[in-house]
Parts: sequence; C-alpha cells; structure tokens
Amino acid sequence: MKHWLTKGDWLVLIATLLLVPSLYAAYWHGSGQGLEARVWVDGKPWARLDLFHVQHLDVPGVLGVSHLEIGNGQVRFTDSPCQNRQCIHTGWLSEGGDVAACLPNRVSVQIMADDPRFDSINF
Amino acid sequence: MTQTIQTTRDDHLIAWFTALAITIHIAESALPSPLPGVKPGLANVVTLIVLCRYGWRMAVWVALLRVLIGSVLLGTFLSPTFFLSLSGALAGVTALGLGWAVSRAVPGWALGPLGLGLLAALAHMTGQFWTAYVLFIPHPALLHLFPPLMTLAAVLGIVSGVLTRSVLARLNSDPSASMVKKK
Repeated sequence: MKHWLTKGDWLVLIATLLLVPSLYAAYWHGSGQGLEARVWVDGKPWARLDLFHVQHLDVPGVLGVSHLEIGNGQVRFTDSPCQNRQCIHTGWLSEGGDVAACLPNRVSVQIMADDPRFDSINF
Repeated sequence: MTQTIQTTRDDHLIAWFTALAITIHIAESALPSPLPGVKPGLANVVTLIVLCRYGWRMAVWVALLRVLIGSVLLGTFLSPTFFLSLSGALAGVTALGLGWAVSRAVPGWALGPLGLGLLAALAHMTGQFWTAYVLFIPHPALLHLFPPLMTLAAVLGIVSGVLTRSVLARLNSDPSASMVKKK
C-alpha cells in the first residue's frame, strides 16, 4: 500500500489502454473504401462508375437531370431537380454500402464493396 | 439427536461480507442504467477487499454467493439477468484468480487493488457480453456494443480499484478493524 500503483498495476493499465482502442478498430471498422459505385435510374441499373476516375456525370432521371461528381474515391450529388435536396445533403459517399438517393427523380447511387455494411436498406 | 454444524471463522467472514455485498448489489439495482449490463459494480469492491485481505478462495465465495442470493432477493434467479450476472462474476473471479496467482508467483509484478479491479471489471464485462451474445442475442450487430461497453468497464474498474484501495487503507490503519470486527 506504499504506492498508488504497483508495477503490475501499470502493466494492466497499459494493456487496457492498448486493448480498448484495438476493440474499436476491430468491431467498429466500416466496410472499407469502396472502389466502384452503381447508379440506378427508375429501379434499373444505369451505370457502374470507377470512383477514382474524376468526372461529372449527368444522369437523366424521371423529373430531369441529376448531376453527380465523382473522383478521389468519392461520389456525391451536386444537383438534382427535387424539392428538398436530400440527395445533395447526403454529401460525399466513400464507404462500401453508402447510399444516396434522389427519390423524386428516381436516381440513386450506392458504393460497392467486398463486404457491404448493409445487405439492403428499406425507406 | 441434534446436530450442530461447526462453522469456522472463515464461514462467518464470508457470511458477513456476502451480506454487505448483497446490500450494495440490491441498492445498486435500484439505480437506473443507461445501457443493459452497465452498473457501477460497487458490490465488486467488497469482492476486491476480501481478496486483498483474505485471499482468492474467500473472494470467490463472496462473489458467487452474492450473485446467487442477490438474484433470489431481486426475483431474477434463473432469468437472463441472473445468467449475465453469474457469467460476469465467474469471469471476474477467474481473472482475479489469475491476477492473484501471478502476484504470488512474481512478487515484483504483484497487482494492487487498482490492477485487480481493472482486470476483474474487464473480465466481468467480457464474460457477460459473451453470454449475451451466445445465449440471448446472437446477432453480429451486438458486437458493435462491445468496444463502448469495455471502455465503460475499464473506467468503472479503475473507480472500483481506487475505492478498494482507500477502504483497505482505512481498514489497515484502524487497529479496531483487525480480523473479524470489521464494522
């Protein structure tokens, strides 16, 4: 009881400090960087995009043209002929399984990965 | 013919400490918990005190009797709560046994209350989580809860270690607290 911490206590403490972050790394990993995105229009696959090929894409939807910006492993909606711009506010997508959709225009984008984070999503 | 059961000094100590642990256990069960499985674990402070003063065998008795009798009193005996509690306690005392054995075998690296408390809390949470996962909710999504629960366990383990240390310091400095008279 002379000291607050014995050598053994320090060992356990340091081991814990190593263990806990590694648990986050092990169980909270995303499904990793996606390489490819798929675009659906009106329920049908419309395009497969290489996420590292920089481009701006015009997607003809039901209401009008949605604009997609792709590059640097990410994709986002930059414009869409809808009211509340939900798809644009979704922002950049980069992880496998990430989805953005403009429902009024019936355009959606999903990042593909080996180990998708979700099997499917219902809105 | 009357039979009397000979009780030893150890039996009385176990009974008293278990009673104390059960009291804390029940008081604690009245506290609202933010997440299932998260409790301050103050009853484990009693286990740690018994371990540090009387050794591992007595600590196992106190920990397991506390879970058993506590669950009977709370009406959770043989319910999922009970099995979570029991598996946590079993894992905890196993970890304490290992820590205690190491402390005796290699005195230079002996664990103090803080190391023991931390070890027990982490083992407790792991045992509990494993039971929850295997027996009750075998869904991979549950695993996402494991890191934050272990973080909480580590913090609460350190807190219980600090509490144990200060209680032990008082007990050791108080001459009237020698052996049986612990009140």
